[in-house]
Amino acid sequence: MSEEYDVEFVEREEREARFLVRGISPGFANGIRRAMVADVPTMAIDTVRFIENSSVMFDEQLALRLGLVPLTTPPEGEFGEDDTVTLSIDVEGPATAYSGDLVSEDDLVQPADENVPIIELKEDQRLEAEADAVLDRGKDHAKHQGGVAIGYRHLQRVEVVGDLPEFEEQESRIVRGVIEDDGELVPTSEFDHDLSNRYPGKEVEVEDVPNAFVFHVETDGSLDVEELVTRAADSIESRATELEEAVQL
Amino acid sequence: MSYKCSRCKRDVQLDEYGGVRCPYCGHRVLLKERSRDVKEVDVQ
Amino acid sequence: MELRVTERTDDELSIEIAGEDHTFMNVLKGTLLEHEDVSAATYDVNPEQSGGQTEPILTIKTEDDVDPIDALEEAAGDVRDKAVSFREAFEAAA
Repeated sequence: MSEEYDVEFVEREEREARFLVRGISPGFANGIRRAMVADVPTMAIDTVRFIENSSVMFDEQLALRLGLVPLTTPPEGEFGEDDTVTLSIDVEGPATAYSGDLVSEDDLVQPADENVPIIELKEDQRLEAEADAVLDRGKDHAKHQGGVAIGYRHLQRVEVVGDLPEFEEQESRIVRGVIEDDGELVPTSEFDHDLSNRYPGKEVEVEDVPNAFVFHVETDGSLDVEELVTRAADSIESRATELEEAVQL
Repeated sequence: MSYKCSRCKRDVQLDEYGGVRCPYCGHRVLLKERSRDVKEVDVQ
Repeated sequence: MELRVTERTDDELSIEIAGEDHTFMNVLKGTLLEHEDVSAATYDVNPEQSGGQTEPILTIKTEDDVDPIDALEEAAGDVRDKAVSFREAFEAAA
């Protein structure tokens, strides 16, 4: 029983994408979504050694902020669960310490964004610290969550069934997601999510397309969309393989 | 133990006999400075 | 992944699958239900609010003299196939 899926991109950027999957069951779609959120490991700072912190915040508060900075995650197989990467930061006031001030020992592990503020330092305040980043899953701490704002909706098929009576005022009909109009995929944002804009004077019928889901995936920058989705699928695959082998014994 | 006088900002060494008082200006409010040790913190 | 059989008859099996959560269990359960000889499949991550039992327990009931262990093995293979073909379809589009 081999499943046939059909994937088609609707919108696509490095960190954000919308794609349609046909032939997928709601349960499996949800498994993929959950795997993207909680099971794909990403790098994040886990311990911080403060050499100097004369800022107005406690070490623990700054450690949490440093932990939440998204770091780029190296290709699969480059790092194990126990490997660490050291990053250091040294900023003297008056200045604001940004994520971009973190200096990594490894080119593969860098702050995904340069402009995440960590703390504002006044005259004579200084932050000097060394941090160890590790690989872990979103399940264990939200800082390791690579996927943010991930969800899916049914693909909706819109069909024109006739004209509106001549003197009837058209009511707005709001739909969100992606519609299929005669085989063409159209994000609802193109007509302000209102079907009466796209089909003025027409009567339309909307129905969910069975087993066709439009995923919306946005990452925090630690991985690109493709990496996140393939690694989520890999994580389910490896668990299934593990179970299959465990059952055989 | 090393402290810093809150009035004259000088470093102050206290011993067990002198009581809490700055030997330079006599001020009785002393501040404890952060230690120079490296402090390791886990991200919670 | 630690497995522990908690109940077992010819056509029924309850098995604890340690370290898993809804992400995998629900997909596995759904796949088991697609199986022709599986009459019932369910899982519970916190059975009866039982003291401390938080590992999911999967229960399978089969018909036509099919060993539930075999059904589980096949379902695990099916989940793997689904994940692989999903990834391939995604990569083909990407």
